[in-house]
Amino acid sequence: MVGAPADAVNRLPDPDRIALLPDRIPHIKPRLLVAEGDPVAIGAPLFEDKRDERFKFLSPAGGTVQRIQFGPRRSVKAIVIARARGEEGEIRFPLLDEQGLAAMERAQLIHRILEGGLWWVLRALPFRDLPDPERVPPMILVGLAAKEPFLPSPSVYLKDQAALLGFGLKVLGKLTAGPVVLFSDARSRAELGPAGAMLTHVVEGAYPSDDPGAVLYHIKRNAAENHAWFVSGADLLLLAQLLRQGRCPTRRIVAVGGAAAPVRQHYDVRLGAPLAQLADPGRLTGTERWIVGGLLRGYASSAEGFMGLYETSLNIVPADEAPDFMALFNPGWGRPSYSRTFLSRLNPQPLVYGCKLHGDRRACIACLHCANVCPVRMLPHMVYKAILAEEVEEYLQLGLLDCVECGLCAYVCPSKIELSQTFIAARRAYAREQAHKRE
Amino acid sequence: MNPIHKFFLNQHKHFQPGRPLARLAPFFESMERVFFGPGTVTGQSPHPRDSLSVQRYMMLVILMLLPCLFFGMYNVGLQAFKAAGQPPSFWPMLLFGAKTVLPLVIISYLFGFGWEIVFSAIRKHPISEGVFVTSMLFPLILPPTTPWWQAALGISFGVVIGKEVFGGTGRNFLNPALTGRAFLYFAYPVQMSGDAVWTAVYKTGVQAVDAVSAATPLAVIPATPAGGMAEKTLAAAGYDLGTLFLGFYPDSIGASSTLLCLIGAVVLILLGVASYRIIVGDILGILAMGYLLNLLAGPDSAPYYSLNPWYHLLVGGSAFGIAFMTTDPVSAPHTHGARYVYGFLIGILTVLIRVFNPAYPEGIMLAILFMNVFAPLLDQVAVGLQVRRRIPNV
Repeated sequence: MVGAPADAVNRLPDPDRIALLPDRIPHIKPRLLVAEGDPVAIGAPLFEDKRDERFKFLSPAGGTVQRIQFGPRRSVKAIVIARARGEEGEIRFPLLDEQGLAAMERAQLIHRILEGGLWWVLRALPFRDLPDPERVPPMILVGLAAKEPFLPSPSVYLKDQAALLGFGLKVLGKLTAGPVVLFSDARSRAELGPAGAMLTHVVEGAYPSDDPGAVLYHIKRNAAENHAWFVSGADLLLLAQLLRQGRCPTRRIVAVGGAAAPVRQHYDVRLGAPLAQLADPGRLTGTERWIVGGLLRGYASSAEGFMGLYETSLNIVPADEAPDFMALFNPGWGRPSYSRTFLSRLNPQPLVYGCKLHGDRRACIACLHCANVCPVRMLPHMVYKAILAEEVEEYLQLGLLDCVECGLCAYVCPSKIELSQTFIAARRAYAREQAHKRE
Repeated sequence: MNPIHKFFLNQHKHFQPGRPLARLAPFFESMERVFFGPGTVTGQSPHPRDSLSVQRYMMLVILMLLPCLFFGMYNVGLQAFKAAGQPPSFWPMLLFGAKTVLPLVIISYLFGFGWEIVFSAIRKHPISEGVFVTSMLFPLILPPTTPWWQAALGISFGVVIGKEVFGGTGRNFLNPALTGRAFLYFAYPVQMSGDAVWTAVYKTGVQAVDAVSAATPLAVIPATPAGGMAEKTLAAAGYDLGTLFLGFYPDSIGASSTLLCLIGAVVLILLGVASYRIIVGDILGILAMGYLLNLLAGPDSAPYYSLNPWYHLLVGGSAFGIAFMTTDPVSAPHTHGARYVYGFLIGILTVLIRVFNPAYPEGIMLAILFMNVFAPLLDQVAVGLQVRRRIPNV
């Protein structure tokens, strides 16, 4: 696959504008706490979640709120902050060391994380929503590997961070009654050094074997463990930084990749950095797609967009719309495919992945490619039909809540059915229904 | 700009909504796809998509059917010349075969594709490329003497009743080509069974009276004298193992050559288009039932009992059915495990129908249709087992 980022890291200067994107955080219902023109400091609350007001989202920059962009039905798309010249104002939080952590009560620790505005790094399966602080999770999963194309390599973002990671794991140990599972693949274990020694599990196989949901599917022993929490390795570093140093984390390592990216490497940038800082639009033709996040799960943005809270990479891939002449009869030496119907199967060179659909929407022909690639052994074609028929019992039985939203089923489908988007929508609808029932 | 691209761009406007040909937009799309892959890009994640489309999937099946078609043309000519006592000569035989076979293929495509266009315009579904496979399969399993109007009727029945009334490709539970074939078989038994229909008549007139059409292997076997070996009877009729394997005997147009079906099946399995699970199931089923009947065979049981099970794979279109009919993914079960069972049961039924019901020697056709109907039941069991293995998550 063409477009893997190099391991080099460049530290980029602070940009003029930094944004927080509320509608890229799944499930939450934001309530704004600032208005356009308000001055903010790093760590000042920008918005909270209407469902639970303790879930605060703090400003990643100091300056003034320049613009609040609304989307359809008043969804908050972006809160753009014009960064103050020179020193930014900053709100400090209490420091915590190893002894302090060991002596601390769980409730106190949770309070600190909530106040520090980093509750969002924790997410609860199966819906991947912010967890309920009162609930004690049966297990917390921490994934380091980055098998989705292309995310920052763990050996890059964890370089010299083993102590911080260890501290983060201790924090998680306080939060759960069960085990903290730290997993990665064998290759990164060898590269990670001291952090590699902390791993509890090593995953095998291609993407999405490193997804916490997929790992949980393979290690869970009973239904209670379905409600495990998870944190990504990069987010855990942010959490550890907040508690250890008492300051809101403002920087993280971001990877820039994809076949059309002008420079493919890692960058050390501000949270919520503008995308134009990561790739020069002047060196692109304008038909490329800017994907924030991995190719399979990220969202499409543009040169005017910003990095989301959860996303740690920018992928730029070709997205031209020229029809392929004689595509049907092309032996396909350079065409990537899961199936064996193209000669690319025998091609050892890395292949270019673009955004073309390569086909038209057709009815399912039961080729079972989706069932072959599903990491949690669902039968995606059957789940899809059950969702269309609104057979709730049936699709839950078939394992819709095990779905890790990896997107592979939709990727391989020759009928170009939007399987994973349908699953994501059905999961959201079911989550809303459950939340409604609880109220 | 590519002139073909220009042509399609120019014609596209006539098929836009509101224009007179708007209803035929699916037809336009299917024609454009022959030359151009779509330029559409994904709207949402996952952003890249597999290069494989249903068009290519179906095109590969048609590609593997072409050798059967060409062999069929040659063999039809060969059998007709033999029956008419003509000296065999390659080009005239191929020409005669083509003259017999191609009209049936063209009729099949005209009517099959025609009905698909009609339904796509009325039901507003895209034209599925499955119909091109159906229209190729159908003439290959017809006797070469099939009247043209019957071919048209058969493919129409297959496409309309076997598929479109259930919603088109992907929603049909029967194999449309076989449905059409079975319809003709039961509606017009005179033209579809017996010894005479499998050989096209070369030069009607005086010679035709003398012409002796040979019986098909399926019809030869029951004629074995009591206590005799079915294999020997076959060999005496000119059907030794090699002839049967290569397919030089009177049979349906394209279904006689086990060799070509074997090549087709192997290629389709390697390409991942045909399910090897079904094929393995089929073969095991036929062999298992064949051996079982061998064990039960007594001195006065019907000659079919003692037939070497491998012969079951060679005669009566078994190989064609296994390679191209049972592997139709839509009418087969939609789970991997159930596909083994489905294939196995087809194999067993094929042999059972041939042996115990001499009135219907075409066991594989009926066996496949029968198991098509049971495929959802097999799925139900397979899915139930799979659900039971999961740790529930609700």
